[in-house]
Amino acid sequence: MARSRFSITRLPGFGLIAVLTFVMLYLPIIILVVFSFNAGVSQSRWDGFSLQWYQAAFNNAQVRDVSLRSLWLAVTAASIATMLATLAALGTTRVGRFPGQTMIYALINQPLMVPEIVTGIALLIFVAAIKVQTGYTGMGYLVAAHTAFCIPFAYLPIRARLETLDNALEAAAADLYASPIQAFRYITLPLMVPGILAGFMLGFVISLDTVVITEFVKSAGQDTLPTYMLGQLRRTVTPEMNAIATLFLALSLIVVTAFFLITRTRGR
Amino acid sequence: MSHEIDITGLSKSFGQGAAAFQALKEIDLTITSGEFFTLLGPSGCGKTTLLRIIAGFELPSTGTVRINGRDVTSLGPSKRPVNTVFQSYALFPHMSLSENIGFGLKMLGKPKAEIRATVDEMLQLVRLEAMADRRPSEISGGQQQRVALARALAPRPRVLLLDEPLSALDLKLRKEMQSELKRLQSETGITFVFVTHDQEEALTMSDRIAVMSAGQILQLGAPQEIYNTPVNRFVADFIGDTNFLKLRVKAVDAGMAVLELPGGKAAQASLPDGMRPATGALVTAVIRPEQAEATGADEGDLHATVESATFFGTDTHLHLTLADAQGFVLRRQNRPGQPVPAPQSRLGLALAPGALRVLED
Amino acid sequence: MHGHGWKWLLCTPALIVLLLAASGPLLIVAVYSFLSPGNMGGVVWEFSLEAWFRVFFRRDIFEPDLVEWNRAHLQVFWRSIWLSLQTTFICAVLGFPTAWFIATRPRHTRTIWLFLITIPFWTNLLIRTFAIQEMIRNNGTVNAVLMWSGLIDSPIQMMFTEFAVLLGMAYVFLPLMVLPLYAAMEKMDFSLVEAGYDLYASRLNVLWHVILPQVKPGFIAGSILVFIPAIGAYVTPRVLGGGRTMMLGNLIALQFGQGRNWPLGAALAMLMLVVVVGALIFYLRVVGRNDEARRG
Repeated sequence: MARSRFSITRLPGFGLIAVLTFVMLYLPIIILVVFSFNAGVSQSRWDGFSLQWYQAAFNNAQVRDVSLRSLWLAVTAASIATMLATLAALGTTRVGRFPGQTMIYALINQPLMVPEIVTGIALLIFVAAIKVQTGYTGMGYLVAAHTAFCIPFAYLPIRARLETLDNALEAAAADLYASPIQAFRYITLPLMVPGILAGFMLGFVISLDTVVITEFVKSAGQDTLPTYMLGQLRRTVTPEMNAIATLFLALSLIVVTAFFLITRTRGR
Repeated sequence: MSHEIDITGLSKSFGQGAAAFQALKEIDLTITSGEFFTLLGPSGCGKTTLLRIIAGFELPSTGTVRINGRDVTSLGPSKRPVNTVFQSYALFPHMSLSENIGFGLKMLGKPKAEIRATVDEMLQLVRLEAMADRRPSEISGGQQQRVALARALAPRPRVLLLDEPLSALDLKLRKEMQSELKRLQSETGITFVFVTHDQEEALTMSDRIAVMSAGQILQLGAPQEIYNTPVNRFVADFIGDTNFLKLRVKAVDAGMAVLELPGGKAAQASLPDGMRPATGALVTAVIRPEQAEATGADEGDLHATVESATFFGTDTHLHLTLADAQGFVLRRQNRPGQPVPAPQSRLGLALAPGALRVLED
Repeated sequence: MHGHGWKWLLCTPALIVLLLAASGPLLIVAVYSFLSPGNMGGVVWEFSLEAWFRVFFRRDIFEPDLVEWNRAHLQVFWRSIWLSLQTTFICAVLGFPTAWFIATRPRHTRTIWLFLITIPFWTNLLIRTFAIQEMIRNNGTVNAVLMWSGLIDSPIQMMFTEFAVLLGMAYVFLPLMVLPLYAAMEKMDFSLVEAGYDLYASRLNVLWHVILPQVKPGFIAGSILVFIPAIGAYVTPRVLGGGRTMMLGNLIALQFGQGRNWPLGAALAMLMLVVVVGALIFYLRVVGRNDEARRG
């Protein structure tokens, strides 16, 4: 038997547990995806390949409706949150300490710390009161709730990006006759773009995933894809749900991969 | 020669109250047009602060800065006819080399054709024509350095400020860039203000040097002047290697003193202006290691015992002990076949005429 | 540039949205927990401690002076804490070897493994819960495989049990344990491990005396990151646990649905918030002490 070099990083059994963990992590998702292409209704018996459940999902008016609402909400909330987070990042990064800074950090990160169910019922109470006062029942509540929830996620990569910028770049711009506005327009802003894009993507994915807050804030007829799915899970589930979930997963996967690539190349 | 930069009564303090730190103390300085002027000193001496005030990145606490006769003390960096080469280069990573070099002209609102012509000229000047469309991350450190120079030169500033621009380069590249900088300065005729802590760099490149310490200019002059006639112990110590000897005064006469050397012989030494030590007083005298010569053991002005020898390639440093136990370093140029003196061997030292100088402590 | 006003001005739009749609409503919840319930949900603006009383106690319907512990609530609290602790433990046991595995891969493949752990973290929690449901349903994958292999004759009931909730939570929160553990291991000084082996330590000795002390901050961070969302869990127990294995989150939601007791729901939500903030403060203090110890 060949003698192997003593490895300092080897710990007995760790590799096996790790590989099993990865298998357990992905097996349920893979099975979910595989059976979305099943010709039969069963989740355990393969009856041949078919796209019928995708067809069913596309033909389901309600699914189309809630999917479009989810996408619209995610784009709107993530866009607003990214703009607000960009301004806040400019106000709190590379500016030295100032009074109230800790409070601003606490407020920005608060949605990360409070359980969604608490935020959900808090918004339910608040929105109910406003509805009684104003009679407004539109999408504004959901947009505001999702925006607030997305702000800390959008803020994170933008701030991280800003912190890596060399202060000397703006000094160099000023030295080369740029006004403060020109320095921002030509130097700071273009260099912030990867952070802003990453922030938007995180916000988008988070809004798309948010189910608890939406569940408590939505008015009648404002179901999003996640709340629709949550309602459907109580009934007998057909592989149509697998098809919807698979499409949803694919969308998240694309955005997360793009996010990963953007944040990885930003060092250049 | 006209005045390019006039600095009068310039002070700068950071912080307030008891924690205040005075970075610059009442600096008066005139830099003439077209000279290569160097601010030299250890880190924390205030040289970079002075440069940043000239550039407009810092406001002085008191005093004024004039450039070409115009008071610019309260003007921002974008309103001054000076450009800076930053220590970190600060090249814009999202722009090509051309765009970097053309940025200043674009901000000045110059027409596109003029910008393109100047950028081409600058690329040629720093020999980077072939790389015009590359990004800063795609070129080497030495090339980035040249782009930073071209970018600062492109708007044709009256003054170019250079903040330790060579400190990030390795030794060989640094030597190359030193001559490159000299060439650029003579070709463009622009006044260069150069900040460095490297005395050798300062000596080889500058027309004039200001040696700074603790927020003050200690000595201002040409490189030879600074090296040969340092005004005080700090300058003598900071520039080059120096032997410091404690010697007794035998007689004083018209700017010269006769000092008693260890071993009993006497030697003449020049006195700094206004210094008249009493006969019999102890003074500090300095002499450069290469300004003495080894002689036979019983000849010369001084007698010494060899402690050790260190080989440096071009020359050898002999660490000696004098008759009264003071240390002395002798630098001797190496020649083929010349033997290295053995430890504990004895030799004599002949001092070059005029080499010994008394300094105020 | 001298005043701080412009910094605040830049933050103001974000702060307004956060105050209106995140922090402000929390204050209203605190206020509501001291009001009286309305008939059809909502509140009557009368001060009352009844909601807080009913969080822990109940009165006999016929004799209001007869007070006893609210066993149903206490059971839910206990289940929430116990399931969250078990989830944290399972995630730690599986997460540590996984993080170690990733941290000891060669640099170029490490990114891929890290990416594989990150994907589930960013994919929808509801979908991952749904995937577990499809696995453990009576006619789901696990039962089908077991019956096909002849190990069992009739499906095992796994859905709507505490086991299902535990499995689901461990599954969805596992990346939250692996990521901080990995971060701690990446910063680890591996020459200390070599020094351990050089000084005659066995693998177990090195793990216990050299590796664990160095990755302790990662362990604490991971445990808090898993424990907090587990305590606040709502979707996973709702889908996998059903009505019989309710957790605190579901009990809160119930007060705003069928229960129609908003003040009680508000009080329960405040209780949850206290537990979460307590866990966070504990975390910050432990981390702060570690930092001091390192500096000192």
